[in-house]
Amino acid sequence: MKKIIIVLSLFLSINASAVNKDFFDNVIIANVNQSIDSSTNLIILIEQGDQQAAKISFSNLVRDWKKVEATYLLGDLNENYLDTPRYIDIFHGNNEDIKPQLDLIIESDDDLSYAIYKHSHKTINALEYILFSKDISTPRVKAIALIMAKSISSYLTEILDGYQTHQTQFLKNEQYASAILLNALVAGTYKLKEWRIGDVAGLSKKYKGEPNNHRAEYALSGNSILAIKSILATHQQVINSNKYKDFGDIAREFGANKEIDTAIRNLKKSIASANKIQDENFVGIQGQALYNATNALMKSYYISLMDRLGFVSKVLDADGD
Amino acid sequence: MLTEINPLEYLLSPNKRIYWIFLLSSLLIALAYLWINPRDRRINFSKKLWLHPSAMLDYGYFVFMAIFKVLVILPILFGAKEVTLWVNSALLDQYGFTRLEGFSYTQIMLMFTISLFLISDFTRYWLHRFLHAVPWLWEFHKVHHSAKVLNPLTFYRVHPVESLLFGLRYSLSIGLITGVFIFLFGALIDIYDILGVNILAFVFSIIGSNLRHSHIRLGFGEKFEKFLISPFQHQIHHSKHHVDTNFGGFLAIWDWIFGTLTLSKGVERLKLGIKTDEMKNFRNIRNLLFFPIFSIFNKLKCLFK
Repeated sequence: MKKIIIVLSLFLSINASAVNKDFFDNVIIANVNQSIDSSTNLIILIEQGDQQAAKISFSNLVRDWKKVEATYLLGDLNENYLDTPRYIDIFHGNNEDIKPQLDLIIESDDDLSYAIYKHSHKTINALEYILFSKDISTPRVKAIALIMAKSISSYLTEILDGYQTHQTQFLKNEQYASAILLNALVAGTYKLKEWRIGDVAGLSKKYKGEPNNHRAEYALSGNSILAIKSILATHQQVINSNKYKDFGDIAREFGANKEIDTAIRNLKKSIASANKIQDENFVGIQGQALYNATNALMKSYYISLMDRLGFVSKVLDADGD
Repeated sequence: MLTEINPLEYLLSPNKRIYWIFLLSSLLIALAYLWINPRDRRINFSKKLWLHPSAMLDYGYFVFMAIFKVLVILPILFGAKEVTLWVNSALLDQYGFTRLEGFSYTQIMLMFTISLFLISDFTRYWLHRFLHAVPWLWEFHKVHHSAKVLNPLTFYRVHPVESLLFGLRYSLSIGLITGVFIFLFGALIDIYDILGVNILAFVFSIIGSNLRHSHIRLGFGEKFEKFLISPFQHQIHHSKHHVDTNFGGFLAIWDWIFGTLTLSKGVERLKLGIKTDEMKNFRNIRNLLFFPIFSIFNKLKCLFK
């Protein structure tokens, strides 16, 4: 009997530590649903030919897509979904300049179903170019914008289906779930710090001392800082929410109070720094502060990662013989 | 800090060589060995062995070092975590963000577990070999080899400088491997462990690691001893005539590859300890701590005369 109670309490404690369904529904699924709604709304506005409203709706899509991207775990659950985000967004994932290619497509008379054959032509980056530098009252431009928005919406729906299919897989293995979640946070913070801030502010290794606001992720539409804030807000959802049991709560259960507190503090600093950026200008002291804050955030995630490993205690006496 | 001082912790922590399960498994193996080899019973059950002045010094020194390590060595030692962070950060600076995809969680865990074990054993081999080959390091390592009789606590009969070097070795080697793995796989790394100890280290510890410092002449046979260091092979290392062989921790392959392997076969009588005229320099805790420093100082003095 005693044995049964021990086994049962162990089982319960393991389950209590898991990233639970509440988290999955409130963060992962909710964010994808919101992004699908934004893309659907954008499709409607493009169909109506309301460019101004479409531009505002595009900002919403950027905000919601970044939330999905910040915690994209589906590729780890099923490798068939590894490339899906690249079909939606090619920031830093593709070296080609799609603008002249899109210009050619607009100017030509080719059937659009053949002309827009590349994935990169149907991404959010391509859509930004069309919405913010072309006139969608022109039928061909409008048709192109629609193909793009529908493609994005379709991939977002594919992501939702994928998550729903693999939900059990995510929830059943707490160790793996927290590992891929933490990996998403770490990867996201690196890209945030280095690509979205450092490259623009001239602080990354690649562009050291050569700041240029045109390198920002959504320089054309002026949504770059919105994208950054959205990514940071998603991190807030993951590590510091009081609505459901989040990753921070789980870290605390494992005694990593100090580490998670540091991460939350650095996240708050990053959000505060992002709020101070004016007019999409990353150059100067504000850009530097944001870069430093996100760098500290990344470091605190790495430290959490190492504490999760607990490798220090996993080796026998460091003495020799 | 003072609350961390607890020599009993050594018996209760699976990270320690003398964890009670490892001691128990060694005891059971020893009893089985003695049942098969009755001629070795006399020495192993003899009071003279367990109460020998060298053994008594081991017991006292163990308690002293358990305190000394917490108060002096640990605070000055940088950890594997710092090295990991540095390695990962250097790789990020050099190559940018990288993730190796296409490996399953199980494969990554397996690779990490084996890599940690191999690098740890490999660096142990080389540090141990340097402790013998470099004259000033040998002065410190003599403390360990000055044991006239062996018991599980002889493992801890090492000079603080040697402890520090092994701590550094640990931080650097484990930090390096972990930093590289984190860079390549992020949080997807973990190790297969038993009670928090690398499964390989645990298995090798349970099969008689405490008999390395004992008078149980357990060999593994010619074939296995090229791969795994047997307790008797380590006892051979403690003998005056074979002191420059069998440096390995768990694995014998390093000794085999680098030409320092001595198999059990053919080795009969062991004379443990160091040169007879030097044994008198290691009779008490004060000797163990200060004689190596005194000796190095004298050598330096002669050198600069």
